[in-house]
Amino acid sequence: MKISFVVPTKNSARTLDACLASLRAQTHAAVEVLVVDNGSTDGTVRIAGRHADQVLQWGPERSAQRNHGTERSTGDVVVFIDSDMVLEPHVAAQIVERFTAEPDTGALIIPERSFGEGFLARCREMEKLLYVGDAAVESPRAYRRELIERIGGWNEDLTAAEDWDLADRTRAVATVGRVPAWIWHDEGRIRLRATFAKKRYYGRWIDQYVRMHADSSGSKFARTALLRRPARLLRHPVLTAGLATLKLTEAAGLAIGIRDSRTTAGARTP
Amino acid sequence: MRILVLNWRDLRHPAAGGAEVYTEQVLRRWVAAGHQVTLFAAAVAGRPATEIVDGYRIVRAGSRFTVYREARRWWQRWGRGRFDVVVDETNTVPFLAHEWVDDGTPTIALVHQTCEDIWPHHVPPLAAQLGRHVLEPWWLRRLGGAPILAVSDSTREALTRFGARDVTVVPEGYEPPAALPVVAKEEQPTVVFCGRMVSYKRPGDVVRAVELSRREIPGLRLWMIGGGPLLNRLRERAPAGVEFLGRVDEGVKHDRMARAHVHVATSVREGWGLVVTEAAALGTPTIAYDVPGLRDSARAAGGIVVPPRPEALARWLCELLPGLRRQPGEGVPYGGARPWDEVADTLLAAVQRHARVPGAAAPLAPAA
Repeated sequence: MKISFVVPTKNSARTLDACLASLRAQTHAAVEVLVVDNGSTDGTVRIAGRHADQVLQWGPERSAQRNHGTERSTGDVVVFIDSDMVLEPHVAAQIVERFTAEPDTGALIIPERSFGEGFLARCREMEKLLYVGDAAVESPRAYRRELIERIGGWNEDLTAAEDWDLADRTRAVATVGRVPAWIWHDEGRIRLRATFAKKRYYGRWIDQYVRMHADSSGSKFARTALLRRPARLLRHPVLTAGLATLKLTEAAGLAIGIRDSRTTAGARTP
Repeated sequence: MRILVLNWRDLRHPAAGGAEVYTEQVLRRWVAAGHQVTLFAAAVAGRPATEIVDGYRIVRAGSRFTVYREARRWWQRWGRGRFDVVVDETNTVPFLAHEWVDDGTPTIALVHQTCEDIWPHHVPPLAAQLGRHVLEPWWLRRLGGAPILAVSDSTREALTRFGARDVTVVPEGYEPPAALPVVAKEEQPTVVFCGRMVSYKRPGDVVRAVELSRREIPGLRLWMIGGGPLLNRLRERAPAGVEFLGRVDEGVKHDRMARAHVHVATSVREGWGLVVTEAAALGTPTIAYDVPGLRDSARAAGGIVVPPRPEALARWLCELLPGLRRQPGEGVPYGGARPWDEVADTLLAAVQRHARVPGAAAPLAPAA
């Protein structure tokens, strides 16, 4: 069973080498790596050229890049990896094993944990561990080719929440399983200002996502997993305080982003 | 050619390290090739102010803090007009030769590594913030006006971040031991760590990772080679399967490194990470933290890098050790570095090609 890793990039030089090297170091032999870049101006393309089987240029956004990668890939399984992720060596082997053992499973979740520099990265690390096993937050990354083609790939109208959208559509038609090996997500140095700006940008797509998934969207924003096991938070009061700051910053960013989108939408349709 | 090299220490200094080995290996080859070489370094107790070693002259004056000022004075009194090139070897603090070499002699800097996140491991907290966020950026910004040679891509990247424009990467050198130990790999799965027991090498991370891995590989064993201030504390708290050897001689070190299945390196940052090179030459692959320096030597030696967390190191150990036991690694020639003869030639060529008279226009047009 051949595995195709599709990695969308845009100025991803900081993390790309570690990401692609971990894909190349998979213990499973039949692996293909596709990098779909979107006009990077840093060393991204050069680094991609060192590791990838195909380096493509496509745009305008992540969903379109991923769909283009799916189209050009040749594997039986397509796995969507972000450029700031590092995979443990057995991920591909375990994907093959799961899909072989469970013919009814169409997609697989690969659990994630994060790492990075500084205090806020430690807070994020704790947050990600609380989400493990929470269906409302985790999205599948590995798809059988026939499934991802049948459900029409990523929604190119969404730039944020596109992973939830795809997960919802996947769960509607197929069984989702999981593998035990981890993805390590490189958060780098988290800065509140940058976090706010990113969430504000994402916030503009939230209304659209909610319109499309009115039934299930509530649970995603509530992030109840954070409060389900308070003991784990209480054990690290300092990290919890940091995490609360981080989540509040994100929430503020999203709220302002949603307001932005409504203002523009209002201006367009008077 | 008459070459003046400025370095804060020479190899006889009690705290000499990898940069001094590099300097010494290169300088004596330059002398052998017919060049006249002078090394200026800090004074060493019990050593003369001037001596000839391996054909090159060492001039010593100043302490680790005043050596920079002494170098400048010595230049003004004795050096001016007597050299064809000045090499400013920077160990965190540059000599800034290009600011005071005033007789039209070309200068060039040689940087092994930047200090950055290692500051807190060397000096008290407030001084560390000052060093990391004020002093070092200020020094490196000034150094950025000179052409620079860096020993790794990571160091070049760091220098570029601080505004250097003319940086060339030169190779790192390594000479494998004359007699490689002929030993079989251990029966029991074995991990080896080799380095000083100081906080910036993070030996505690290694112990923690092996402790975690033993849940999946119960027979796993760890050899910790090296002395240092943390040794006793780590030894007292060592979990099962961990053996601290302390400081051992080269023979024992090579023997242990060759017998282990995998070598691990967990520093905060290195210039190149020579220990990875050494392990590779001895036929032991490395799993290293993905940090500047270790990244370069691990890549050159065909090793693996992992997120800098003990939990990650443990996961990779568990996944890779069974394969490494079935198929042990093979020795990598020069461990992925270059033989010293080649390094000396390449470095001299780079010095001749890139050294520049201070104040003269840069060969590459600077950005605005």
